[in-house]
Amino acid sequence: MSSNRSKPHGLLAEFHTAADIFEAAIRCRDAGFTKWDVYTPFPIHGMDEAMGLRKSPVGWFTFCGGFTGFFTGMTMIWYMNKFDYPLVVGGKPLFTPLFAFPVSYEMTILLSAFGTLFGMFFLNKLPRFHNPLFKNERFKKSTDDRFFICIEAADPKFGLEATRAFLTEKCHASVVELVED
Amino acid sequence: MNSLSRTTRSWMFLAAAVAAVGAVSALGADAGHAAAAHDASHGASAHGAAHAHGHVSAFSLKQIAHSYLTAYMFCLSLCVGSLFLTLAHHLFDAGWSASIRRVTETMASLLFPWMLILALPIIGFAWTGNLHAWFKIDPATDHALDVKKVLFNPKAFTLMVPVLVFLLGSMARSIRAWSVAQDKDGAAIWTTKSRKLAAGGIFFFAIGVTLLCFLLMKSLQHQFFSTMYGVYYFAGSVWTTLITLYLLTMWLAQPGRPLEKVYFKRQQQDLGVLFFAFTVFYAYIHFSQYFLIWNAAIPEETFWYVLREVGSWKWVGMTILFGHFFVPFLILLNQDIKRNLAVMIPVGAWAWLMHYIDMTYNIMPVIHPEGLHLTLWDPLLWLGMSALLGRLFWSEYRKNPAYPLKDPRLQEAIIHHEVPAPGAAAAHGHAAH
Repeated sequence: MSSNRSKPHGLLAEFHTAADIFEAAIRCRDAGFTKWDVYTPFPIHGMDEAMGLRKSPVGWFTFCGGFTGFFTGMTMIWYMNKFDYPLVVGGKPLFTPLFAFPVSYEMTILLSAFGTLFGMFFLNKLPRFHNPLFKNERFKKSTDDRFFICIEAADPKFGLEATRAFLTEKCHASVVELVED
Repeated sequence: MNSLSRTTRSWMFLAAAVAAVGAVSALGADAGHAAAAHDASHGASAHGAAHAHGHVSAFSLKQIAHSYLTAYMFCLSLCVGSLFLTLAHHLFDAGWSASIRRVTETMASLLFPWMLILALPIIGFAWTGNLHAWFKIDPATDHALDVKKVLFNPKAFTLMVPVLVFLLGSMARSIRAWSVAQDKDGAAIWTTKSRKLAAGGIFFFAIGVTLLCFLLMKSLQHQFFSTMYGVYYFAGSVWTTLITLYLLTMWLAQPGRPLEKVYFKRQQQDLGVLFFAFTVFYAYIHFSQYFLIWNAAIPEETFWYVLREVGSWKWVGMTILFGHFFVPFLILLNQDIKRNLAVMIPVGAWAWLMHYIDMTYNIMPVIHPEGLHLTLWDPLLWLGMSALLGRLFWSEYRKNPAYPLKDPRLQEAIIHHEVPAPGAAAAHGHAAH
């Protein structure tokens, strides 16, 4: 156990303002780090670009969900009203996309939402019940009034002293702390 | 001196346009009276069906009146859409749109006096019996008109249309005047005033725009019922305004033009997203109107769509369904497309065409029940009126600073958006502060 404890997870750098961490994120991106993340109490406009994140592929899950939902709704109503148990209601045709539309539309929204949520879970490898950062007392302020960058030890460019110096001197972090795994 | 002469020229241009329409009105007056008499004699049997006037000739006053109304409703869309976006900016206390607000303020200010002046020929056409059939129908002979005569009577029409346009225009002008006053002293009181006006004004806006499109457009077939008609016109209006604003501000943000330093990808993306949202909103509203009428199948309502499924109107309807919704919807689904001008410029031209077709679909079946029938007046009046208003917009826009110089939210609109590309950090400094 003790050998596990001494293994570093990464370096946690604390910042006091959104502008500071924005600037620091640009420097981390330009330094070529790949396994790192930013933790802030609220979303910061432009942070995706500052971190150099590419466009999220979640939209494709949403699209597939919506597409499936729409045609499921149409097929379901066609099957029930025209094929399996033909029934005339209010003198209307047995099937028309018109009355099938509200249901198909709701199905589109429902399955789009499922696609978005579960696609996001899948891409983020969630659910995951533990992260070494949770043990850090200081990190709890990331939901209050502090901003954090964590560069993981697994990053190929990670070097304990070099990265610490980079975060302190280049990124102007107020505190840099080692987080153990 | 320069701006004075520009204003004078605009007035002369407008006067010439009104005079030209007036001259044509005078020439066609006899035809108008004949048609009016025809209407009156058939008024009683008009319920629930299109007025079958037979062929309406291309040079008849009736044709010109309807083409003029179609062009007017299109241009009115851009003005009320801009007014809505200005009000929405203040209601939400928005930051991102501060840098493009002067454009919407100016476009909305065209309502008064210009849109009011342009509304006068419509009133003239209606009184001479060339537009709204109920001007010449005795309510005692027409039950549908009798129950609606509080609103649909010539005096109310003549009074309400100018007053509504005037009040909407005054609201736009007040907000712009306060914004311009803020350019000089930077006081926050001007923003507070606009916000208060917007809070009450949005209710008046909703009622005013609904009444205007009921009076001007929906009452062409006064028997029709639809509580969604106002929001339907509103949705199409804001849709068209957003893409117009998108292209206009893009042009104004090119190097050397006035919005260069305050307009970024964020504004472009957000306008694109709003345009996309209103693509869906419009479809939702129009489908709901159609679906409720179709499902309830009450003749007082269905006749309106039955007429629009005759002959080529059916295909016009399909064009609206696919061209106004599916095509832009599928194109705009992609996030990055909203910043791709090679796509957005054609989409903008397409949206203008679709909104014009939508107005045509509402207005023209009344005189051409047999199918779509375009005349030279349609493009002439549509593009002519748009060009005239575009010119008036430009001369008014140039009188004031191109964006609200000292708006408290301007800073939010312009910071944090230009993230340097990888490798440029050294030169970046602390611009983000």
